[in-house]
Amino acid sequence: MATAHHDEHPAGLMRWLTTTNHKDIGTLYLVFALTMLFVGGTMALVIRAELFQPGLQIVQPQFFNQMTTLHALVMIFGAVMPAFTGFANWQIPLMIGAPDMALPRLNNWSFWLLPFAFTLLLSSLFVPGGGPAGGWTLYPPLSVQGSMGTDFTILAIHMMGISSVLGAINVIATILNMRAPGMTMLKMPLFVWTWLITAFLLLAVMPVLAGAVTMLLTDRHFGTHFFDAAGGGDPVMFQHVFWFFGHPEVYILILPAFGIASQIIPTFARKPLFGYESMVYATASIAFLSFIVWAHHMFTVGMPLAGELFFMYATMMIAVPTGVKVFNWTATMWKGSMSFETPMLFAIAFVMLFTIGGFSGLMLAIVPADFQYHDTYFVVAHFHYVLVSGAVFAILAGAYYWLPKWTGHMYNETLGKWHFWLSVIGFNLTFFPQHFLGLAGMPRRIPDYALQFTEFNQWSSVGAFLFGFSQLLFVAVVVQAVRGGKKAESKAWEGAEGLEWTVPSPAPYHTFATPPRIK
Amino acid sequence: MPMSRLPETQRRAIVRTAVTLAVIAFALFVFTLWRGVR
Repeated sequence: MATAHHDEHPAGLMRWLTTTNHKDIGTLYLVFALTMLFVGGTMALVIRAELFQPGLQIVQPQFFNQMTTLHALVMIFGAVMPAFTGFANWQIPLMIGAPDMALPRLNNWSFWLLPFAFTLLLSSLFVPGGGPAGGWTLYPPLSVQGSMGTDFTILAIHMMGISSVLGAINVIATILNMRAPGMTMLKMPLFVWTWLITAFLLLAVMPVLAGAVTMLLTDRHFGTHFFDAAGGGDPVMFQHVFWFFGHPEVYILILPAFGIASQIIPTFARKPLFGYESMVYATASIAFLSFIVWAHHMFTVGMPLAGELFFMYATMMIAVPTGVKVFNWTATMWKGSMSFETPMLFAIAFVMLFTIGGFSGLMLAIVPADFQYHDTYFVVAHFHYVLVSGAVFAILAGAYYWLPKWTGHMYNETLGKWHFWLSVIGFNLTFFPQHFLGLAGMPRRIPDYALQFTEFNQWSSVGAFLFGFSQLLFVAVVVQAVRGGKKAESKAWEGAEGLEWTVPSPAPYHTFATPPRIK
Repeated sequence: MPMSRLPETQRRAIVRTAVTLAVIAFALFVFTLWRGVR
C-alpha cells in the first residue's frame, strides 16, 4: 500500500487558510461551490417568483436584470467551475498516483482568490445603482453605461480569471509531470484526460476574457473607445472577443462532466469503458472545434453569408465527436451487469438530458432557425439542459460516487434516490416548458410577459422551487455522510477500477508518498 | 509531516511547464489588447 506515513496537519481555521494539501483544497473548492450554488439558486428563485405570473409583482425590473446577470456569473464562475476544480484537486493526484498537485502553494492561492472575488461581485448589489444588469455577457453599450457595480464585476472577473489560469497551470503541470511510473497518457482515467484538455481551454481563453473586460474598464474610465461607435470603436468587436472566450467556456463547463460520467458508467455497468481511445480523441476534437464556432452566438448581429455558413457547419460538426461519446456511454451499458445506485442514476440522467440539450443546440446552429429562436426562452431551455442536467447533474453524480472515498462513509441511499427523483422531475418541469415558451416567442431577460405565456411560466416556476428546495436533501446527505454512517471500504463500489480505490476510505491526508507502479 | 521533496529533475520539469504556460497565458492577454488597439 502506497499510502503515507502521517495524517498530521494544523487544526482549526489555520488548517484551511494555509493548507497546501490537495484534499483540503479540493474540499474548500467543493464547499465554496455548494455555497455559491445556493446563492445563485436563490437568485434563480427570485427570477422564477417574479415570472410566476405576468405583470410586475415582487421586484423592480432593474433588480430583475441584476438577478439574471448575477445568477449566471455566480453559477458559472462560482458554482460549476469551482466544483469541477474541487473534483480535480481531490481526484487527479489520487487517480495518477501523485502525492499532491505539482504546485501546492499556488493551489492554495488559486482557491483563496475566489471568496474575495465573489465577495466583491456580490457586494456590487449594495453600491449606488446596484449590481451589473446588462447580462452576464457584459455587452457594451449597456456595460459601459452601467453603475459602479460593473467595475466591481470587472475586477471580480479578473480575480476569477487569475484563479482559473493558475488552477489550469497546476492541473497541466501535475498531469504532465507527476504521473506514477507506468501511467502512460493513454492509461490515464478519462476524468484526468478531460481535465487536461479543459485546462488547456482555460489557459487559452481566460486571458482573452481578461483582455475584453480590461478594454471595457478603460472605455468606462480612461477615455478609450474600443467599443464605442461614436468614438470610432466597435461594439460588435466586444461580442466577437467575448464569444471567442464564451464558447470554449461552455466546453470548460462540460468536458469534466464527460469525464465524471466516463468514470461512473463503467463502474455501475461493471464493464470497461467502451472506446476509451475514441473518447480521448472525441474530447480533443470537441475542444478544437470549440475555438471555431464562436459567432454562432451572433448570427442575428449581422455577418457575411459565408461567415454564417462557416459557423453553422462548424457548429454542427461538434455533434459528431459528442455523438461518439453518447454512443460509447450507451455501448458501455449495453449488456452490462447494471445497478442503479444514486451516482449511476444521475449519470444516466446526464446522458439522456444532456443529449436533449445537444439536440436543441443543433436546432440553434441552423442560421435561419436561429433568427427565430435567438434571445428567446428556447435558448434559456437549451443551455440549462446543457449546464444543469449536463454539468450540475454530473457534479452531483461525481459527489455521490466519491463521497465514500472522501468521507469514509457510505451515504444514505434512500435520501440520495429521493434527491435524484425530485431533481429530475423539478428540473424537467422547470426547463422543458421553456422550449415551448421560446418557440412561441417569449423573449429572455424580461420581468414581464404577454398573457398567453402564463401557464407554461407557472409550470416552470413551480418546477424551479421544487428543484431548488430538493437540493437541500443533497446537503443533508453530505452532512450525514461526513458525520457517520456505514463504513466505506477502500473499493467502495464493486465495479470500480482505478488507483483511488486502492487507498483506504477516507483517503489518508497523504497518499502515494511512494509512487505506485502501474503495470 | 510535510511531504518528502520531489526529485530535482521533476521539480525543474514542473517549474518549466508552469513558467511556459504562464508566459503563454500572459501573451494571450497582451495579444487580445493589441488586437483591440489595432
